[in-house]
Amino acid sequence: MTLLLQLILNGIVNAAIYSLLAVGFGLVYRSLRFFYIAFGAVYIVASYAVFALANMAGLPLLVSIILGLLIGAISGVVMDKSVYLPLEKRSASTGVLFIASLGIYILVVNLVALFFGNEVKILSMGIEPSFSIGTLVVTRMQVVQFFVGWIVVIGFWFIIRKNNLMKGIWAMGETPDLVVVLGLPYKFMRMLVFALSSVFAGIASLLTALDVGIDPHVGMHALLTGAVAVLVGGVDVYRGWIGGAVLLAVLQSIAVWQFSARWNDLITFGILIITLLFRPQGLFSPKRRREER
Amino acid sequence: MNYILHLLIMIGIYMILSYGLNLVVGFGGLLSLCHAVFYGIGAYACTLLMMKCGLPFLPAILLTILITGICALIVGFPALRFRGDSFVIVTLGFQMIVFTVLYNWVDLTRGPYGIPGIPRPVIAGYEFTTLPEYLIIVWTFLILIAVVLFIIYKSPFGLALKALRDNEMAAEGLGKSPVHLFLYAFVISGMTASVAGGLYATYVTYIDPTSFTLDESIFLLTVLLVGGTGNRIGPFVGTVFMILLPEALRFLGMPDAVAANARQMIYGLTLILLMFFRPQGIAGKYMVR
Amino acid sequence: MRTEGLKIKNLSKAMNGLKIVDRVTATFLPGRITALVGPNGAGKTTLFHLITGELKPDMGEIFYRKKKIAGLPPYKVARNGIGRLFQDVRVFENLTVFENVASACYSERSETPWFPFLHIKGLRSFNRDIADRVMFWLEFGGLADLKDTPASSLSYGQQKILAITRIMAAGFSILLLDEPTAGLNPVMIKRVLNILKKIIKEDKSKTIVLVEHNMSVVTEVADWVYFMNEGRISFFGRTDHVLGDQEVREIYLGL
Ligand SMILES: Nc1ncnc2c1ncn2[C@@H]1O[C@H](COP(=O)(O)OP(=O)(O)OP(=O)(O)O)[C@@H](O)[C@H]1O
Ligand SMILES: [Mg+2]
Repeated sequence: MTLLLQLILNGIVNAAIYSLLAVGFGLVYRSLRFFYIAFGAVYIVASYAVFALANMAGLPLLVSIILGLLIGAISGVVMDKSVYLPLEKRSASTGVLFIASLGIYILVVNLVALFFGNEVKILSMGIEPSFSIGTLVVTRMQVVQFFVGWIVVIGFWFIIRKNNLMKGIWAMGETPDLVVVLGLPYKFMRMLVFALSSVFAGIASLLTALDVGIDPHVGMHALLTGAVAVLVGGVDVYRGWIGGAVLLAVLQSIAVWQFSARWNDLITFGILIITLLFRPQGLFSPKRRREER
Repeated sequence: MNYILHLLIMIGIYMILSYGLNLVVGFGGLLSLCHAVFYGIGAYACTLLMMKCGLPFLPAILLTILITGICALIVGFPALRFRGDSFVIVTLGFQMIVFTVLYNWVDLTRGPYGIPGIPRPVIAGYEFTTLPEYLIIVWTFLILIAVVLFIIYKSPFGLALKALRDNEMAAEGLGKSPVHLFLYAFVISGMTASVAGGLYATYVTYIDPTSFTLDESIFLLTVLLVGGTGNRIGPFVGTVFMILLPEALRFLGMPDAVAANARQMIYGLTLILLMFFRPQGIAGKYMVR
Repeated sequence: MRTEGLKIKNLSKAMNGLKIVDRVTATFLPGRITALVGPNGAGKTTLFHLITGELKPDMGEIFYRKKKIAGLPPYKVARNGIGRLFQDVRVFENLTVFENVASACYSERSETPWFPFLHIKGLRSFNRDIADRVMFWLEFGGLADLKDTPASSLSYGQQKILAITRIMAAGFSILLLDEPTAGLNPVMIKRVLNILKKIIKEDKSKTIVLVEHNMSVVTEVADWVYFMNEGRISFFGRTDHVLGDQEVREIYLGL
């Protein structure tokens, strides 16, 4: 029983990080409608930037984190400006964008690996203090992950509920032409989408990296987690992204309890395929997909 | 010399893989990210049939083709209800699932420990062990498979696939059943990959799941897209280019530690540049959608 | 000769809470060109989608040769002999003109992957037969000179003719044509109309349903007209009759 509770507690902490990933991926996927694989590259950029600034250059951690997130955001925008936007101008198909995105991912990951090596880098030193609540144990890092994650995700939800610009970004995913016709700042909005997405990726990445370190190849897993959460929960509603993330995290915890963590991918992608087959619009999205092809 | 023979063997194996994948990606127009699944199932099935059931190589390969065909049917049936991005994602999902199974079903596959000591093929009492002998067996299979695939490429079935690829609604309006035709293509593609798997396993005599990861599926798709899809020359160009490229780097005197990452970077860069300047691949005509 | 044709009964379809096709009942008879006219958004294309199975009707039935075909998947509807020219043409862009037509000539059986292996001997004569048939239809559509051109480099009008040739080559007996002359210049329109007249003259068992905005085209080729507005069939009759009706003229032509 204690074990189950402990796992559910871990699940809720993980859910915070998964939600960050889901929002980061969802922002681009929903507004630009292409499968943003390079999200996995942006994910590692932020953490490695912090590693370089804090551990190698010796800057204070907080300053490094802020700069790291900024570098992550810039890298996301640069990717868009240098690859996606020009490709989109040539009215490239989603397949072309997909492959180009894959190319960026492979390029960046190996560039990072070339500089920093393929092995795990530890960002924080020393042993994490932990607290116990009854029979349950939480580490300080888990507390940080929980609060930072949920505050950012819920805070962002309040912002997009009130803000018109975000409605515009949402409209981009429905009818891109309309945005231009309405005189909305398409380029600025696009930049904002990539910057925000990168910040979400960066926060998730740092929360994880400060806990267990980082290596260049974890980006793919982060990307897939975010993508599966969005697709399972439902692309068209913000609460779906979060719902998908929570569901994924909790189910993985239960799976750990019943089987072993090694089967996690089976659970994750099993849920994905079953959802897409039986409820393609996502579990938390009320709208049905358009009928006509 | 051995080095060149080794390269030729690997080119042969990868050509089998990419000619098979071509049927789904080039003719069907569906970007599949689970080709390594069938490559892997083929390698494991062939190995286990030979080592656990004591079958000789040829019967083992035939059974392997059958088993993998059934697996492809099981994967393809749900996956082919999707198109575009969704198809890519669902095949990616199957790739992750099958890898997890290969990795964790230790009783069957020995999981991460891998299976060492795989016997070499024995055909009509003759054991193929040396590199030149192995080159002959790989390329014989390659030629056999290529002939079969080329006939299929040219057949009414191949044309129907291309019609579905170009405009599914119009092709279906002419009476072509997307479910059936795509499923045939998917199963044939999986079956050919399983032959490559069996050849690979008996060539390196040791397999573990890390040879059949998502990265491998991505690599196989890259090979095909670089070469160009939907024709007979593209897979050849892609395979030769992608296999010889890293070797060229080695001759430039790059240290091994750096070379792996540098090679990957070039793959990545190639993909980006390709999408900008030649989305149909070096020798292709048809552009990915 | 039994005149059966395509019968539609009480067909309805709602999308997003809107009735796009509303209890449509109609009969299209062989040997005739029946026009389906109506303002933009009347639901004509949607009606075609329902007949060919792109969309499933909420209610109603479609009969063809005594069979109920409503709700069948598109490829099965096609195998029953119902072909369609799409409003947005839909040629196979990366295939040549020849291949476009050839793809319509193969039977379901010959499109299995094992077909060439079972018929290795007869393959050459099989291919020759198909090529002859393709050439026949290319002559019919006047596209023989362009046979090796990729379909994507044809003009819009040529693409429409190719698409019509394709459904002719497939041997459909019901042809649903969605705006075959829209966007074409007068010369091309003439060519399309000649093809339509030729079809109906040469083969009395063919049924042509024509969606058309160009009234002179309708008067020139159509015998009967269904007038559709806001999802309903509101008039049916001989061409001059319907087009002469005051209410139709008001709704449609704004006269
Ligand atoms: N997938 C869909 N979802 C919701 N509404 C749709 C859908 N497809 C079409 N409609 C609506 O159905 C109505 C009828 O459309 P349809 O294309 O059948 O008209 P049409 O008579 O062919 O017009 P046109 O002459 O312009 O081709 C239109 O108002 C259109 O907006
Ligand atoms: Mg229409």
